[in-house]
Amino acid sequence: MNETPRPFYWTFITLCGLVIATYILFPVFWLFLASFKTRDELAQLPIAFWPKDPTIQAYRDLFDSGSQSSQLLNWPTLISNSFTVAVTSTIIVVVLGTFAGYAFARLKFPGRDLILGGLLVSRMFQGAALLLPTYRLMNMLNLQDSLIGLILLYSAFGLPFATWIIASSLREIPFELEESAMMDGASRLQSMVMVVLPLATPALITAAMWHFVGAWSEFAFASILLESNENKTVTIGLASFVELFTLEFQRVGAAATLVALPIMLVFFFGQRYFTRGLLAGAVKG
Amino acid sequence: MNNRSDRWLAYFMILPVVAAVLAFVIGPTWDVGKLSLTQVVMGMERGFGTLDNFRALAADPLFALVVKNTAIWIIGGTILCVLVGLAVGAYLAIDSWQTTILRALILLPWVIPDVVTAMAWKWMLHGQVGIIGSTIQAAGLTDEQVSFLGDPSLVMWTLVVVLIWRKMPLVALILCAAIRSVPSEQIEAARMDGANAFERFRFVVIPNIAFSLTAVTVISMIWITAEFALPWIMTGGGPANASQIMSTYIYQQSFEFFNWGVASAMSVVNLVMLMLIIALYLYVNRRSWASGADK
Repeated sequence: MNETPRPFYWTFITLCGLVIATYILFPVFWLFLASFKTRDELAQLPIAFWPKDPTIQAYRDLFDSGSQSSQLLNWPTLISNSFTVAVTSTIIVVVLGTFAGYAFARLKFPGRDLILGGLLVSRMFQGAALLLPTYRLMNMLNLQDSLIGLILLYSAFGLPFATWIIASSLREIPFELEESAMMDGASRLQSMVMVVLPLATPALITAAMWHFVGAWSEFAFASILLESNENKTVTIGLASFVELFTLEFQRVGAAATLVALPIMLVFFFGQRYFTRGLLAGAVKG
Repeated sequence: MNNRSDRWLAYFMILPVVAAVLAFVIGPTWDVGKLSLTQVVMGMERGFGTLDNFRALAADPLFALVVKNTAIWIIGGTILCVLVGLAVGAYLAIDSWQTTILRALILLPWVIPDVVTAMAWKWMLHGQVGIIGSTIQAAGLTDEQVSFLGDPSLVMWTLVVVLIWRKMPLVALILCAAIRSVPSEQIEAARMDGANAFERFRFVVIPNIAFSLTAVTVISMIWITAEFALPWIMTGGGPANASQIMSTYIYQQSFEFFNWGVASAMSVVNLVMLMLIIALYLYVNRRSWASGADK
């Protein structure tokens, strides 16, 4: 839109921008600030905006197993569990999703479009309604309270979307490239790995990022499946602070900051891929 | 390479994803349907083929409240999400450096884990030391600090406000992309004909983005129906069930009261609702499905 720059217009645009930016950023920023305040400061009225003496005591408390009320949960364990689950399931999803995505994009077989459509619709079936039967299933498989069970579950939930993102990006790669490789004697798998995949790297990164973010953040299924403290993940750890409210809120702030940190890093460094995945497939559920 | 070996290769390649969906989506859906028609006593299944669970669900004094709260959550949430998303999206569609920065930032609430969002808002809305309540009080709008999450008459709408924060950015970004693809000649022509900014938006932009708008409305409805962690961590359905919605009710009945009969009946109600919304989605999207599953 070619509006001629006018001072009123410019002020309006900037003001709207500031309001929206504050709305978007403030809740997270406020939590972040709280993690550097002291317990007394947080309980005092009127509310002081900036911490008087910024301290990282709250973060120390999380990692110091000896301090009072340092809960039953051990944060280094929680973080390492979450990383294990998120990273492993991301690798599984991207590898299997690449094969499936290639098949949907490149090979002809009966039922192809129907199955792909079915996968997309299945993604919409994730919510509280499947908590109870999933719990029963994992109990039957004897995979409750195990990280392997959680990895399996997250991979299963993440695969359809990864397959879809990868398939739709592979479709845009000209078939001729692959054809000429096969003319030169490459097998299907060789041409897939040597010719197609290097071109599809952005889609693989997109799929990996989306899955990592989802797996790291997942709460509901982790909370019903994980029982022992050494198996819990960061989201469970953070949610267990509900009772600590106001008494030790700086700790909640510190824990929340730790939980949000990897996601923020992925988000800011992978901005390009993120928006790509969003426009490619988020509307599909 | 002949076609038949391609076909077997394809089935082999898609096997994991098909198996995953069968085992972890279709299977559990079937299982919860079966469970809802089975008499369950203390986790033991006693006899299939009864509607007792549904009767018990309907007889639960909470049922009407849960339905009402869920209606506020889904319908109120979806409408507000799309309206706010449309306004923000229209703003983001303007070309300027301010909107370019915001377009990069806006997805932040969408990627922040639910549990973090819940904690952040719970802290801001705290009844004694929450910054929102104390700011409103300091401005003289209320005599005492309002406890947004502690007041049964406010809690549901407060949760909806947090939900908007969480879900609106993606709606805004999708609508922003749709608005930016409206042909500029049409807008220019309307301007020539003397249409003001509102008229141009209402009569040129809106008809052009009607498809995206409908699709995004239905998809938000699906997201909002599935949302569980946010309300559960913020209120746990309280105070006194004032914010109990279907998803929190299912969780509570399943894993706190071990009332699997009622829980599975409610799960089935929830799934049927979800299927109706998905059917609506497929109907809205029929154009793109007809032209192959690619767009």
